Amino acid sequence: MNGDSRKMWTILSKEFLQIVRKKSFIISTVLTPVLMAAFFVIPAMLSDAARGEKIIHVVDLNGAYQSAFLDSIAQDPLKPSGLDFIAVDHHGRSRDELLKDYRPIILEKKVAGLLIWPAEPEKGSGIPYYGLNISDMTSLRFIEKHVQRSFTRLHLLRQNISEALIDKATMAPTLQTFKVKKEGITQSSSQAELLMSVFMLTMLMSVIMAYGQLIMRGIIEEKNSRIVELLISSTTPQSVFFGKIFGIGMVGLTQVAAWISLTVAYLFFSPWGVPPQYLAFLTPSLGIYFVLFFVLGYFSFAILFSLVGAAVNTDEEAQHLSAPISYLLFIPFLMGITMVTQNADSPVVVVASLFPFLSPMLMFMRISMAMPPFWQIALALISSVLTVWIMIRLGAKIFRVGILMYGKRPTLKEILTWISVK
Amino acid sequence: MAETVLELRDLIKVYGDRTVVDGISLTLSKGEIVGMLGPNGAGKTTTIRMIMNIIAPDSGSVLILGQPFCEELKNRLGYLPEERGLYRKMTVMDALRFFGRLKGLERAEIDKRAESWLDRFALTEHKRKRIEELSKGMAQKVQIIVTILHKPELLILDEPFSGLDPVNIELVRDLILEMKRSGTSILFSTHLMDFAEKLVDRVIMIDRGSKVLDETLMQVRQDFGDSLVSISYNGDASFVAELPYVNSFRDYGNTMEIELADMHHKDELLDALRTRLDLTRFAVSEPSLNHIFFSRVSKGGL
Repeated sequence: MNGDSRKMWTILSKEFLQIVRKKSFIISTVLTPVLMAAFFVIPAMLSDAARGEKIIHVVDLNGAYQSAFLDSIAQDPLKPSGLDFIAVDHHGRSRDELLKDYRPIILEKKVAGLLIWPAEPEKGSGIPYYGLNISDMTSLRFIEKHVQRSFTRLHLLRQNISEALIDKATMAPTLQTFKVKKEGITQSSSQAELLMSVFMLTMLMSVIMAYGQLIMRGIIEEKNSRIVELLISSTTPQSVFFGKIFGIGMVGLTQVAAWISLTVAYLFFSPWGVPPQYLAFLTPSLGIYFVLFFVLGYFSFAILFSLVGAAVNTDEEAQHLSAPISYLLFIPFLMGITMVTQNADSPVVVVASLFPFLSPMLMFMRISMAMPPFWQIALALISSVLTVWIMIRLGAKIFRVGILMYGKRPTLKEILTWISVK
Repeated sequence: MAETVLELRDLIKVYGDRTVVDGISLTLSKGEIVGMLGPNGAGKTTTIRMIMNIIAPDSGSVLILGQPFCEELKNRLGYLPEERGLYRKMTVMDALRFFGRLKGLERAEIDKRAESWLDRFALTEHKRKRIEELSKGMAQKVQIIVTILHKPELLILDEPFSGLDPVNIELVRDLILEMKRSGTSILFSTHLMDFAEKLVDRVIMIDRGSKVLDETLMQVRQDFGDSLVSISYNGDASFVAELPYVNSFRDYGNTMEIELADMHHKDELLDALRTRLDLTRFAVSEPSLNHIFFSRVSKGGL
């Protein structure tokens, strides 16, 4: 190793150790996978707990539907826990009278809801259900399924059709989704996939943002304390620039690697188990793409942030000047969670995912949602690598002039002239 | 003549319409201590930054150890910037190791040298503390150790005494003299002129970007000799300005320094003062660097 690369290594390891030794780094590295694990398990636990004991009264103004409905429910093994149905006689009350009686009971939460079979169900007006909570989709879907099934069954039975045939006709099969991938076909629920994709995209964005700003603030500190004069009188500006960017990049990579391995460890050793669709989603190739696009995204943005740090003198100026960079980081994130989740292969998404700065996050999101053609991935990689290469070349020059400028904030025009300084 | 370790030729630096450094030339010989004196804003720091290649001169040249500034030189130079700063969160020892390695030292060597310097600067018990936990004076001492740890051949110190108490000023002064004895050449700037007097081999005075004096301390003594009269008095001394043989004077209220055109007039002066003032002291002395600076500047420089 010659003198300069040794000095670069000195700066790199200083930047790396300075952060890795911090308590906040250790805590966030360990805690994030725990949060992620909680993200898998808690929603299911929560919705069970929130549902609690629910008693629904069923009134039948017609007379024929009540028992058919309750029979249908009794035969369903998938009945949500805590959900119970009680047949109630209408005692000659009309629908309005029933409502008048039930309003206080429902408001006091003695009964969760009231289902009223009308005397003559008509096309266009549904079966009314009254409840305090009408957004618990799990329960409502379950009720709806059995309203439909028992209604159909009853009318078919009246036509003297054999029960076996009716059973078959009212089976109402649901969709079972499979994802087609290069490696084969796996069963997967698209909701799990969406959650995971958005989660990983958020991770990608927040890590790039956090470490980009860390570099920026570090450079401002060095400028303000004039440490930069010591650094420059000891080694080349390039060594400082690359030492910092690689050093903090290593921190980010360490953190991402720790997250991935802790999550994998959780998936394998978790006592609570993991829904199989998550396991099917988290393939090694997805992990590799994640790391690859993290590195490319990190470099594109870290250089931008470090240039802002080099160009300004105060944190306040830095905030103003770095705002556009944050937007540039938000655009692919927002596109990722909206457009890509709707249609991962729409023309706008395809073009944007090949674009410098947008590419790392968008292409990763596309890969995790629906595998794009390989040539598009290759093009995105080439575009990102090219961006990083150009940024490194220009960045080193701008950095060199910027860190030694004090006083007035330079204009964009001035910054551009720095590039031509040899 | 001794080997030249630093040579500036006609350095000019212009910021906007202000010429901050206006044609400064100087040389520094091996083993010499040169003090660059001048008030705040005279252009000292800008000159030093141009020597250290931190800013580029608009014209003129700098030769260090016989060559233009280059990477290879960096391990042979020690530089103390005017505004101090080390990483606030770093411990003293980590800071010494980091900057020591940036000057090409091996860790074992750094630890060995750091030990003796920390001991000498009474910092040993603080070596595991973070910089931000130290007093300003202690942090400055750490930074001075950072500057000299790699035994530089040429040491450039920008205001090395600012922020230090008298005890530490003595400590740094001894250190500079010791470095000189071991063959290091030293250029330092200060606006505390009277203090520099006890340290330098040669004085360079700078005012408004130009050099107004560049002489060895011996030459200064010869040139200015016993040309100064200092008095202590009570009364109204404004008449001194009208005395024909008074070159210049500085009135401090109840003391005064008077520079005569010719020392032969000193008896005349004494008579004049005695008749019109309540004179408690009358002494003939060498002028201070401060006085020399003001006399040069009031003549409009050289």
